[in-house]
Amino acid sequence: MFSLKPPRPTFKSYLLPPAPPPQDEDRSIPEPKIKKLDPVLLPGEIVVNEVNFVRKCIATDTSQYDLWGKLICSNFKISFITDDPMPFQKFHYTNLLLGEHDVPLTCIEQIVTVNDNKRKQKILGPNQKLKFNPTELIIYCKDFRIVRFRFDEAGPESAKKVCLAIAHYSQPTDLQLLFAFEYVGEKYHNTAKNINGIDSGSGGIPGGNSQKTPLFETFSDWDREIKRTGASEWRVCSINEGYMISTCLPEYFVVPSSLADQDLKLYSHSVFGRRMPLWCWNHSNGSALIRMALIKDVLQQKKIDQRICTAITKSHPQRSDVYKSDLDKNLPSIQEIQAAFVKLKQLCVDEPYEETEVKWLSSLENTRWLEYVRAFLKYSAELVYVLESKHLSVILREEEGRDLSCFVASLIQVMLDPHFRTITGFQSLIQKEWVMAGYRFLDRCNHLNRSAKESPLFLLFLDSIWQLLEQYPAAFEFSETYLMLLYDSTRISLFGTFLFNSPHQRVKQSTEFAISKNIQLGDEKGLKFPSVWDWSLQFAAKDRTLFNNPLYIGKSAPCVQNGSVKSFKRTKKNYRTISFCVFQGFLRLCHTCIFNE
Amino acid sequence: KFRDAAAMDSGAPGANRGGGLGTFGAGRRPPRPVGALAVGSRQPSVETLDSPTGSHVEWCKQLIAATISSQISGSVPSENISRDYRVFRRPEIRRALRDGNKLAQMEEAPLFPGESIKAIGKYSTYCISSPYLGTDSHKVKWYVADDPHFILDVPLGVISRVEKIGVQSHGDNSCGIEIVCKDMRNLRLAYKQEEQSKLGIFENLNRYAFPLSNGQTLFAFNYKEKFPSNGWKVYDPVSEYKRQGLPNESWKISKINSSYELCDTYPAIIVVPTSVKDDDLTKVAAFRAKGRVPVLSWIHPESQATITRCSQPLVGPNDKRCKEDEKYLQTIMDANAQSHKLIIFDARQNSVADTNKAKGGGYESESAYPNAELIFLEIHNIHVMRESLRKLKEIVYPSIDETKWLSNVDATHWLEYIRMLLAGAVRIADKIESGKTSVVIHCSDGWDRTAQLTSLAMLMLDSHYRTIQGFEALVEKEWTSFGHRFALRVGHGDDNHADADRSPIFLQFIDCVWQMTKQFPSAFEFNELFLITILDHLYSCLFGTFLCNCEQQRLKEGVNTKTISLWSYINSQLDEFSNPFYVNYENHVLYPVASLNHLELWVNYYVRWNPRMRPQMPIHQNLKELLAIRSELQKRVEDLQREAATRSISSSSDRGSSPSHSVTPVHTSV
Repeated sequence: MFSLKPPRPTFKSYLLPPAPPPQDEDRSIPEPKIKKLDPVLLPGEIVVNEVNFVRKCIATDTSQYDLWGKLICSNFKISFITDDPMPFQKFHYTNLLLGEHDVPLTCIEQIVTVNDNKRKQKILGPNQKLKFNPTELIIYCKDFRIVRFRFDEAGPESAKKVCLAIAHYSQPTDLQLLFAFEYVGEKYHNTAKNINGIDSGSGGIPGGNSQKTPLFETFSDWDREIKRTGASEWRVCSINEGYMISTCLPEYFVVPSSLADQDLKLYSHSVFGRRMPLWCWNHSNGSALIRMALIKDVLQQKKIDQRICTAITKSHPQRSDVYKSDLDKNLPSIQEIQAAFVKLKQLCVDEPYEETEVKWLSSLENTRWLEYVRAFLKYSAELVYVLESKHLSVILREEEGRDLSCFVASLIQVMLDPHFRTITGFQSLIQKEWVMAGYRFLDRCNHLNRSAKESPLFLLFLDSIWQLLEQYPAAFEFSETYLMLLYDSTRISLFGTFLFNSPHQRVKQSTEFAISKNIQLGDEKGLKFPSVWDWSLQFAAKDRTLFNNPLYIGKSAPCVQNGSVKSFKRTKKNYRTISFCVFQGFLRLCHTCIFNE
Repeated sequence: KFRDAAAMDSGAPGANRGGGLGTFGAGRRPPRPVGALAVGSRQPSVETLDSPTGSHVEWCKQLIAATISSQISGSVPSENISRDYRVFRRPEIRRALRDGNKLAQMEEAPLFPGESIKAIGKYSTYCISSPYLGTDSHKVKWYVADDPHFILDVPLGVISRVEKIGVQSHGDNSCGIEIVCKDMRNLRLAYKQEEQSKLGIFENLNRYAFPLSNGQTLFAFNYKEKFPSNGWKVYDPVSEYKRQGLPNESWKISKINSSYELCDTYPAIIVVPTSVKDDDLTKVAAFRAKGRVPVLSWIHPESQATITRCSQPLVGPNDKRCKEDEKYLQTIMDANAQSHKLIIFDARQNSVADTNKAKGGGYESESAYPNAELIFLEIHNIHVMRESLRKLKEIVYPSIDETKWLSNVDATHWLEYIRMLLAGAVRIADKIESGKTSVVIHCSDGWDRTAQLTSLAMLMLDSHYRTIQGFEALVEKEWTSFGHRFALRVGHGDDNHADADRSPIFLQFIDCVWQMTKQFPSAFEFNELFLITILDHLYSCLFGTFLCNCEQQRLKEGVNTKTISLWSYINSQLDEFSNPFYVNYENHVLYPVASLNHLELWVNYYVRWNPRMRPQMPIHQNLKELLAIRSELQKRVEDLQREAATRSISSSSDRGSSPSHSVTPVHTSV
């Protein structure tokens, strides 16, 4: 049972289970490890450094709830192992990869060491020296968490070593130093063994809920999507096999049937990143959604543009025109979004309990975060109108075509197609429009802590989905919890899904790694990393039920009764409405107190 | 393009009920379609975009569509209700009604028993400069001739004032009226001047909307609907106190006020310390404003710590003392063996309490009450709250500034006041639960802020009040019976809209409850519609529940015998108001986070008339379906349990098997 030492004897937390219910047996699983104060390690994970007699601070104003234990730095996470139970139950679910007090290294944003006596404080970068023995370690996480450890009773030298180890391992200089490589390498070495009961997950993607999530790595996934949407005038193009043309495009993508491979190859030289027009989706009325980078060759610009548009028009059953949408001109830039995010974080993290909260909503408004959420919703809804009511194909244009287009293309599809409001559909959408389309997860999530290219565009996207979920509580198969855990998963450097800037980078880097580690790849293209969509790696079946939205009425329910027309009408109104809440689930991460889920 | 409009009012009982209402069982007709079932399902068809009637009218229709669903649902045999139904049936009804004579339609319009048409007017233009349109209840209705679905209902009770306005945009001698409502709506109508003189809509509205100012009775006294459940029985003081374990050795149920002589604004039955003699009680009453002596509201089942409520002591500028009052509070403290302290929460601001003291009121001084600790909760008075709501209305009407929305909400201070109330109630609940200390709560008169604080604290402490019946009892007890001046605060039937006694005190309380339901989604048996329905009928004057200022007055007016209780209506269709996620967290104390970043503006209530802020997808039907699934599963669990019990011969005692709520929750969290 989840034993609890109540801080106040009469306090009865609403959050605790009403009685010792049977499901609590699940919680007893990690107990043996806690007893021995030994870390639970994944394949390929090694303990780099550790220190005993550490105090983890729970509350900011009192040490009453502090926990005693051992702090460990591995090549995957920092782990705090304790016998003491948590004073407050935080969540209703347990992550199988991470303990209650664990922080994956890729989730760490900043490490601050403090010495009270000498009144010194230092932000630790990689390979830095520390001239004092820290009495306190503060870790600022990318997910708004702040974790504090005190070393008053710990050995000063080992405390220092752990701090330096954390600083070093959380800010790797090379992609191949990320834990996922070590993990997957170990997997390949031990293909026969099934370590720790965790299924290897290499390649096989049982997408959480019975159905497999298409990854769009293969010809057939794209072909099926063409058939599903009835896009008869479109074809799967394989000229990029082996990434021969573009290193930021998938090997297979869909183009107008009337465009020949030869022409595409020719045009690609004039386009940023050699990114040819990518088909995203077809409306049942024949209008298509296409995304594309800008044509950089000024001389060729007009001609190529014309040819591509003509081809798109030809693929439309009514030969409708193409509506060109310039995302860069209409939407906030990724830098502006990052700036808003920094402000939002300041608001939520830095002084969450100040009495300045009187101005909470104004401060929230000043971050502009919600303004940007609204901008994307509004703009996407306008394009939905063009596709839906004007029967025009829409081409999304953006300089490199790898940021805002991912967002807008997916949002439009969620608004128009109920398939993408299911769990499997939503996951396939993220594969199609983000992972395979070359969204720079590595840079934007800042896994290597190089910060310059960081931007929380993906989070902003999930936030906008959350807003839709608020407005259409019965339209989505998934819940707020699902969105939150999906975002958390971008911070776990064990999965390949959100680790790379492009599919090509995965293949290139993992092939190099495989050669250096003497791993036989056979005819596989690069290493197969575990996928986030294999949710069983992270959550037990019972916890995965929290992904489901109890209000979901299914794809066949009213919102699609008369085909997508209905669903559109409903969705179209979005841009008028704006829900003024913040993605509460996200904010929740920053509150260290009682959570009300 | 002429639109017909009709204004109706009470009068002849037994008026014909039109429509297909008969198919609906008595008492099953929902007066308010809030969170309306069919809203989102009704999709404007594509043709409407180029419809000859013009986009403006179509837009209006869309607005209306959201609010008229009860007309439709009223004619639906209940077993057929499904999401699909409304979408598909609607056109049929439309066609059927179109064929008939238009005026006849209106006369056949669904009326409540006891309701009749008072005036019918034709309006040349339906001028919707306000996005706030209609509801359906029992008084004003507007119909558009072309489309019987264009119906706007406004209960006359909701009307705060009616004004004539000039309408420039329509030229030819047009004039109009503006109807300002208590529930955040403003309606504007334009018509030709000559029509006005013929019809006297303005005069009729003014006459019937404010019956008390015109020597008439409120509609509730004419309303004749029959409900299977009798809401006047939900609260019985003696059994409620018995539920709390009273009387006991320290507390007695006293009949001293049975003829309202001790205190005319208190209920007949009160709970006071056993040892206090009636003579002393009279002396205490003389020392407390309006004679509102400290009486017990709630007692902790284990620690015996109590919540008592009263009004301010009449200390005055000369620091007058009253031995009996001091002894009385000492007795309250002594009744709880767990603590040697008594906490007095004065809801007011310290400075205001000082001002009151100079005027003869005041607060308990430390020297006179040595064992008591006085805490000011610094909550503003009724005028500040009224002003705050006015500001809130300003930012949602007539249009919303999207870019400044959040800071505008901040500037109304509405949520800040909600926060202060919740924070105060949390402090009270914490003192009782964790400190095991008895508390005394008062403000000036002890019928506004005091009622808010006691009822919120009780809601946090006692899970019984989180059930539907329990909540109804809580409202009856802490608000109605203890003399919250509903008639004065709402201004029922009174045309003096600028009356300084009006204030949204009860609304604030319901808002706080809503905030709690947001933070604890499975701790309350009722849903959002329940709260909205309560607020709608706070103004509607359809039910007697919120009439009058105190129990004595209600008795005199015969409210409980001559009117129908809102709880009759609600309890006759509990599935409409039940929360499928409810799990009875018995003995769990709820401490909501009273911080502005956890509070939300209740858009579904305050801004519901604005179609832009309306929920895009009403989930009411989904909730009802979940409820059905849940009860089915519960039944199955019970069956299986029974089966298991009969199989195992050894278990002779059936473990006091489950009363309806203790069964395994279906969904505890989303």
